[in-house]
Amino acid sequence: MDILYLLIPLSIVAMLAIVGVFAWALDGGQFDDIEQQGAAIFDDDTSSLDRHQRP
Amino acid sequence: MSSSTLTAERSVALGEKGAASDATSVATFRLGGMDCAACAGVIAGAIRAIAGVDRVDVSAASRCATVRWQASRTSAGAIADAVAAAGYAAVPDTAAHARAMRRDESRAALWRLFVAAFCAMQIMMLAAPSYLAAAGELAPDLRQLLAIGSWMLTLPVLAFSARPFLEGARRSIASRRIGMDVPVALGIVVAFVASSGAVFDPGGPFGHEVYFDSVAMFVSFLLAGRWLELRMRHRAEEALENATDQIPRASLRLTQAGGIESVATDSLSPGDRVRVFAGDAFPADGTLIEGTTTTDESIVTGESRLLAKSPGDPLIAGSRNVDFPVVMRVEQVGADTRYEAICSLMRAVRTSKPKLLAQVDRWASPFVWFVLFAAACAGAVWSVVDPARALWVVVSVLIVTCPCALSLAAPSALLAAAGAMGRRGVLLRRIDAIEAMARVDTIYIDKTGTLTECRREQVSAVFAPGTGVDDRPALEALAASLAGWSTHPLSRAIAATYPPSSIAWQHVREVAGRWIEATDETQHRWRLGAPPDDDVPAASSAAARVCLSVDGEQVASFFFDEVLRPDAASAVAALQHEGVEVRILSGDDPERVAAIAALLGVDGVGAQSPDAKLAAVRSAQRDGRVVAMIGDGVNDGPVLAQADVSFAMGDGASLARGEADGVLTFNRFADVMVARTLARKALRIVRQNFAWAATYNAACIPLALTGHMPPWLAGAGMAASSLLVVTNSFRLSRGPRNAHTPPAADVPVPS
Repeated sequence: MDILYLLIPLSIVAMLAIVGVFAWALDGGQFDDIEQQGAAIFDDDTSSLDRHQRP
Repeated sequence: MSSSTLTAERSVALGEKGAASDATSVATFRLGGMDCAACAGVIAGAIRAIAGVDRVDVSAASRCATVRWQASRTSAGAIADAVAAAGYAAVPDTAAHARAMRRDESRAALWRLFVAAFCAMQIMMLAAPSYLAAAGELAPDLRQLLAIGSWMLTLPVLAFSARPFLEGARRSIASRRIGMDVPVALGIVVAFVASSGAVFDPGGPFGHEVYFDSVAMFVSFLLAGRWLELRMRHRAEEALENATDQIPRASLRLTQAGGIESVATDSLSPGDRVRVFAGDAFPADGTLIEGTTTTDESIVTGESRLLAKSPGDPLIAGSRNVDFPVVMRVEQVGADTRYEAICSLMRAVRTSKPKLLAQVDRWASPFVWFVLFAAACAGAVWSVVDPARALWVVVSVLIVTCPCALSLAAPSALLAAAGAMGRRGVLLRRIDAIEAMARVDTIYIDKTGTLTECRREQVSAVFAPGTGVDDRPALEALAASLAGWSTHPLSRAIAATYPPSSIAWQHVREVAGRWIEATDETQHRWRLGAPPDDDVPAASSAAARVCLSVDGEQVASFFFDEVLRPDAASAVAALQHEGVEVRILSGDDPERVAAIAALLGVDGVGAQSPDAKLAAVRSAQRDGRVVAMIGDGVNDGPVLAQADVSFAMGDGASLARGEADGVLTFNRFADVMVARTLARKALRIVRQNFAWAATYNAACIPLALTGHMPPWLAGAGMAASSLLVVTNSFRLSRGPRNAHTPPAADVPVPS
């Protein structure tokens, strides 16, 4: 059970890191509009990926 | 982000081709007609297809498009046209600042909530072993490690998530006015300090119990309640913003040729000459160049006296022209005068404190003192009875009595009701009006322009020899040109009927509701107004009559027919069905008023001067009646202010709007009925909320005092109570959205 003395501090560090990542994502506006990117697939425009794939 | 990648590439491609890299413009457009997220792609495609557009970002959630384009190659108008061609609508976004502020506010609130909730869950996991393990099963050093872990995770909750409460408490202590945040902050800090002491000094005065899980959960419950409240406030504000969009805002610009054109206030530029009617607000900063008048600058500068202005004097955008129509030269165009108007309306609604809230505030301070006293007593008693439990009893008492639900009870319901009214076209200036609206039992309605709309029926004219005006079309054009200086409904009807002549009127003077006069180039004095009292009308069937005279000699008469507004009859019947007394109070001819009153089945008094109207409203109020006044026209201002609650028609003179508590933006009478129903519902919900919050606090305080309620349960109960109150208020914003009723056929008024 000695491993707990390592894992518990590790998990706490991981949690704080997750909070930090979420802060970054929220600040970048990733949660401002959740539906739109899903609908982008219906866009008639060629995506940048298509353009690169074209010979 | 495929679309933004694409646009970025395009602008690079343009740069390679050596496209003009001159001034670029960036603007935000509000989009109409967007039903789903897929529409965003269609709109973005339509805008992107315009040559000269660098970048397009369409947000489906906020229904906005931000466009960057090269000013030399395309324009905002072309972009709006392209969106319209795609089947949607785009208008420049004037409330962008307010929206950005709301977005930041809601982002911060969500973020605080997430940190608190996420940490609370983790702390709960770390706390679980201490709850589940039997005595002696958990090694002391492991228990210590878990406690330190909890402490570390509580730090962000306390330092970041709980900051609004701690700040609020600090502010209220600094200003020596005890507020609701004080017991909350005290509960959080006491629990945290005691638990920290227990962790780092197990044998110390704080015992060995830790409450980090309770602290974190309490904070996250509290934040969840606040976040819901914030969401609702934002929704109400958005509804108000959308409603303000529907008030037309245009200015009358004088063209070089001497004509007048109506242009959007936003498109005015320095050097333009603009005509401003009596009762209207000045659209921009500038100088008076024609006419003398007095202005009311109280909105802008707080100066409550009326200021006399003569040519050459400066005029401030947003201040009001009180007496006479004038012409001003525009010097500075407010970056966003419309935005300022919306903002002041928002501020007025948000900061005006309804009586209901003032009552709550009066009780809040004694209540908080009582809570602190009760907590102290409980602490003292329990430290004798059972010292180990004393601390958490104190924390429970502090938390469970948090009067959050009580403080949310009234504002949440009133704001939700204001938002719901805004969506249906009733725009409130004063949120207090909801309370009065619910109790209204008498409604006074002005007739001309409010209950009826005027149509010109015929004109009889004699020529005016010696003035250079010697035929009927010339007289009509002259009358239209003079009428163009007034906002009276009859003047508007004349001005709209005939093509105006280009006369440079001088010394324009208007007595609101009576006449308007001015001098032409040849020093003849023309007056357009009510006929002299001893005059026998030529055609008695007409609803109203306006005379044009020159140097005191009558040369033409204009006769008007009037039609009831389409929904007036049904709305009046519905109001009477509800037991509301409806009366017509008009300055018009008594016979005409009686005819309309009979048609609607209500009482009607005619020939009322503004003073007589005021007296009638006052005497009804002395009889204990709650009076609503619906008016229009400049001379209704004082009556609107005297009534308990007042509404102005959306197309009425602006002065009436200034005095009125609310504006019927769609000019529909039925909206009065809607507003009354909503107001009654709102008061019912406020009462329910108060009853619930009071019952909850009364029931829980004894439980907490006797030690039957651990802190976490107190936190959960308090949050659930707030949640219940907010959800209950939320019911007001539901219901059918504003449905545009097709205009019914005009109902002619019998005479």
